[in-house]
This record gives sequence, C-alpha cells and structure tokens, in this order.
Amino acid sequence: MSKRVFDVCIVGSGAGGGTLAAHLARAGVDVVVVEGGPTVNTRTDFNTHALPFDYANRHIPTMKGGKPGFTSERTRGVGGKTMLWNAVALRLSHRDLKGYTIDGAGADWPIDYADLAPYYDKIESEIGVCGNRDGLEDLPDGIYLPPVALKEGDLLLQQGARELNIPIIQTRKATLTRARNTRPACHYCGNCMAGCDVAAKYNSADVHMTPAMKTGHLTIIPNAVVSEVTVSPENRVTGVRYIHRVNHEEGEVQARCVTVACACVQSIALLLMSKSRLYRDGLANSSGQLGRHFIPHFNSGVEGFLTKRIGQKPTNDEGFIDHAYLPSYMHARKRDYARSFGIQIYTGIRRTAGWARLMPGFGERYKQSVKQRFPAYVNFQCFGEMIPNKQSYVTLHKSKKDRYGLPEPHVHAVQEGNERKIYDDMNRAAVAILEKAGGEVLSVSHFNEPIFNHQLGGCRMGDDPKSSVLDKFCKAHDLPNLYVVDGSVFPSASEKNPTLTIMALAARTAEHISDRLRKGEM
Amino acid sequence: METRRDALKIIGAIGATCSFPFSANELYAQHVHQAEGHPAAQPWSGPKFFTPDQFAVISRLSDLIIPETDTPGALGAGVPQYIDLAVSEEQKLRKVFTDGLPKLEKKSKAKFGSTFLEATKEQQIELLEALSITAEREKTRKPEKRSKDTQFFDAIKSLTADGYYTSKVGLIDELGYDGNAALASFPVASIPEH
Repeated sequence: MSKRVFDVCIVGSGAGGGTLAAHLARAGVDVVVVEGGPTVNTRTDFNTHALPFDYANRHIPTMKGGKPGFTSERTRGVGGKTMLWNAVALRLSHRDLKGYTIDGAGADWPIDYADLAPYYDKIESEIGVCGNRDGLEDLPDGIYLPPVALKEGDLLLQQGARELNIPIIQTRKATLTRARNTRPACHYCGNCMAGCDVAAKYNSADVHMTPAMKTGHLTIIPNAVVSEVTVSPENRVTGVRYIHRVNHEEGEVQARCVTVACACVQSIALLLMSKSRLYRDGLANSSGQLGRHFIPHFNSGVEGFLTKRIGQKPTNDEGFIDHAYLPSYMHARKRDYARSFGIQIYTGIRRTAGWARLMPGFGERYKQSVKQRFPAYVNFQCFGEMIPNKQSYVTLHKSKKDRYGLPEPHVHAVQEGNERKIYDDMNRAAVAILEKAGGEVLSVSHFNEPIFNHQLGGCRMGDDPKSSVLDKFCKAHDLPNLYVVDGSVFPSASEKNPTLTIMALAARTAEHISDRLRKGEM
Repeated sequence: METRRDALKIIGAIGATCSFPFSANELYAQHVHQAEGHPAAQPWSGPKFFTPDQFAVISRLSDLIIPETDTPGALGAGVPQYIDLAVSEEQKLRKVFTDGLPKLEKKSKAKFGSTFLEATKEQQIELLEALSITAEREKTRKPEKRSKDTQFFDAIKSLTADGYYTSKVGLIDELGYDGNAALASFPVASIPEH
C-alpha cells in the first residue's frame, strides 16, 4: 500500500460496515473498507439451489466447489453476515430503547426513537423492506413495499392467536416484493439463507457497496484480517494493521478516522487485542467496560403439527421461509418479569423433515404418519431479551489462537431468573396458540440448554464514560476519531432482530462523521 | 455461542446464522465440517465402517423402520450407505453401534436361538418393538441419561429417518416436496374448511 491516508477506514463490510461505507462515499468522504474474507459473487458463487441428496453426507456446502467464502464458523467475506441472513427487518420502539426507565432493569439507550426514526426511514427507502403497517405500539411501522401473503398454516395460527388476544402479523423483511433498479422481486424459492443469488434479499455488497463504488470514493481491501487498530501517542487512532487471509503477509492502512464494524464479538476482540502504552487493557477501554454487558438474544422453540393440514397434499408454499411474526405484546399484560419476547413463525413445506426422527414407532404406520404430517409442520422460533449480568461478557482467550496467531474471543453468557421466566412464557404462548389453532405439540425446548442468537452488547453506548464505551454517536468516549457500529453498541437488546437498527445507526454515524470531517475536527 | 454453531448442522437452505435450535433440524449426531460435503455421484465401494455382516444387519433394521410401500423404503433410497458414511465420520456414533449390534445379536440368540438376520420378520419386529417402547418411555430423559438400548434405537432410527427424508426418494417421491422453484408471486392462502 502507498502512504495514502484515507478519511475513514472501516473494519468489516456487513450491515454496519457496508451501510456506513456507502453513506460516507456518497457524501464524498474517501473510505476504505478492510474485510477479512474474500469477495463473493452472489450470482455465481453460492450453492443456492442445491438439495441435500446432491451430497452423499447430505451436507450442502455454502459455496460452490472451489469458491472461497462463507465456509467457516467465523464467517468472513465481503458483505458479512448479510449474505446469509434471514432478512427480518424490525424497528426498535421507544419501549425497547428506554427499558430501564420503563421497567427498572437493564440500561436505557442514550438516544430515543425520534433520533433513530429518520434513519430507519432512509434505510428502508433505499434497501426495500416489505411489510404491513400494523399500527402496533411495540413495533413501529416503517416505509414498506407490499407484504408477502401469509401461508395457510400462518392463517390458522393467527386465528388461534386472535382468540387469545395475541397478535400475529405478516413478517417484515429486507426482501423486495417489487423489482427495483437492478434487483428483481423475490421469487419465493426458499433459499434465502443459502445466499440469495439474485439479490432480491438485501446484502450489503450488492445493495450498498457496489453502487457506491461508482462515486470513486470507496476502496475495498478484501482478504485482510485486521489484527490491530493503531493509536498515536497523541491519543488518536491512525489506521489499522492487517494479515492477509491467504499468504499471511502483513499490511497497514492509514486513516483520519477508524470505524470498527466486524460483528459484535469480533469487534470487541479487535479492540481488546489493540493494546498500547495508552491502552494496556484494550483500545477505548479506560473504563474497563469493554466486553461487559454482553446481551445476545436467547432462543427457545416449539414444534408441532396443525390438525387441519395433516394429510393434505403438499403445495409449494415454501415462500421466503417464515412469513408470520408474533410481535411483543407483553407490555399490555400483567407479568412477573422485565422485557419481552417475539416469535418467528415457520409453517408450510420445507426441504427437511428432521423432526421425523422424533415421531414414535417405526414401520409402515410410522412412514405414513410422517408423510401426513409433512405439510402440517409448524415451528415457533422464540427470541427473548436478556438483561445484562456480571457473568456475561467477552474476553480474549488466554491460550487459544486462530490461524493468524490472533487470540480467539472467549464468550461467557449466563441466563438468569428473568431470562428463565421469559423463556417459559414464550414457550407457553407458542403451545397455547398451537392448541387453540387445533394442533399437536411435537417438542418444546428446554431452558437448561440455552441457545444464543444475534450477538449484542459488550461495547455499549451511553452518556456516562464510566459505564459505557461509546457516546450517543457510537464514538469512543476515550478517543476523538474511533467509532464502532454493529450489534456490540446496543445498551439493551430488545427482543427484535437487530440488523435494521445496526443499519440505521450506521446511517446516523455516517452523517456525524462526514459533518465532523467537514468541520476539520478529524 | 460456539456450542450453538457447533451443534447446528442444518440441512437444506437453512443457514447457521439465524435458524432453528432443534435437534430435529440438524443431521443426527453428525459433526462434519460444512466444507466437507461430498458430491453424491461417487460410486459406492462397500461399507467404510461396518463389516459386511454388520452392514447386512443395519440394512435390515433400516428396512424395518422405513419399509417399501407404494414408494421405495430405506433400502431403495440408499439409506444403509448413508448410515455407514455418517457413522464412519462420527466417533460418538461408532461406539453406539459397536456396543449395540452385539447386544442385539445376544438378545436374538437368547430369545429365538438364531442370529438377528436368521430370525423371522415377526421375530425381528418383536426385538425392534421392545427397543422402540423403551425409547418412547425414556423420551423425556436427557440423552446421556437414556439406556444403552435406547441410545442404539435412537441412533439407528434417527439415521434412517435422516437418510431417507433427505434422499430424493424420501423427500420428493414420498413426502411430495415441491419447493426450490421460482414463483411469479406468492399465492394468497385461505383457511381450510374441513
């Protein structure tokens, strides 16, 4: 690399990094995105339409043969996790942002819904989100393309839920239901999470970064695993050092401002391993708060069958996977816990019947029973909000190193009493709805084996530099030119899928950074 | 977090980033790295893990679990070959079979005075039925608290179900899966009457 000094260096290219990069480049800011993984061509590289029987061991590799990309557990690649996400795009509400004020647990955000709303508008308008304006207090409406129709199974569950006074709505996803610019509308093949090969589903590479390349202000350096954010003796970040993913050669990038956006846990790890004379316990960690208040979503689930659909002839209602969503409604109910839950509802046929092994017996009757239940299967995926606790945090592993010699992150996540109450209640709600709708329960998940999804928190925003790492613009309290934009910045998690909010924060941060650059503050 | 990623090996289009927490959506006890998917077209060159005798027993068991009806059963769908491959790649499963198969033979000898393969179909079903009933009774126990018999039954049944319903015969011919196809628009549904 030459001695070029960029205005902004962004580490990571997913929902946070990709959105930020495009917004800055469009504002005329010279941006470089440093991404640990390779560039992936969504149209040709994903194994999008494979079925399990194409492989002897029935594992479908994410990438087509020989194509580098999303094959490891720590997914890296240009576009980040937006390449494989399920695209649920929900706004947080005032209640989500001010949970401490409202029910005395967890932490408030330093911003409110009014601060985020214009950026939600902006993001939804530019990427395309489908959904219905439902007018719910707990789930603010946005600017939507037409929603996708509910499946027959969803309608049955919705009817059952209505009798219990529980809402079930059409889901809101960052997937096009109408063609726009170069992107076609969704064709409902059910392969969303195998890498949408027409980019009807949002990904940050095709929708944000590639169009922004035309400005001439955006440079992407793929295959560059960042090992350190560098800092000067004058307490300013100066850029990043990286290791090439394949040949392990070292390189560096210089910039007036650095934004870390490489997915929650990895962002925290990068800051923790960026040690210097000024920051012996990790960059921007003078408060000792970095890594603390880690609050991933926890999942429970219920599966079963809708009686009315048992024995029906299957039709192609795979759609874009889940079409129905149960939004938080608990604020209106009496309950003995803080916060709430939401449920993604999966009905219709799927290319997997792993549940068949849980059906009793064997032989002809067993085979018949599975066949009849194939179209009737339903799956409730419940997401609960975790309250931060002392045992849940991210550190660097003392001995484990990755293949670049960098310390592995060490994730600690413990669920406590409030989580247990939410867990039980969301499973109870799912079972009640299924029973009201006329169905059989096949399995209910157990609290003792928690499953975490959506990494959040650990580098939280706040007004007080003693109890938070970032200010309300996602800028480090400790440094004038270091930002973080991803799930790690969330002071409280809400039960809602976080990606749309990460993108709204990125759009807001982009405005803030370009203003400061213009004023010569960096 | 790691445990979830490790535990979830999801078949079909469901990726590992935001999906299903159930055992029912992952392949039974397989911990094969995703990059190691094998193209199915390779010719089969005999069992990798089981002896020919053991393989014959595995084949018979899978045939009893999912028999041929108006569609082919486990044998017609190549399930024994899948089981052999899955077991060869998964240490924990190997022990279940090296313990479980001799035990099954012992029971057959004690009860019918013959090997499992020499026993009549009715006798074979009787042995399998006893295991199935025990497994159903122990269903609510944690997997590690289940008896050896149940672990064996769970393994052979789960592998048979996985192998069958991920095969072309099982998924397309038997279940009638009709997806993975482009639609111009998603059809509007209504609530069924009956």
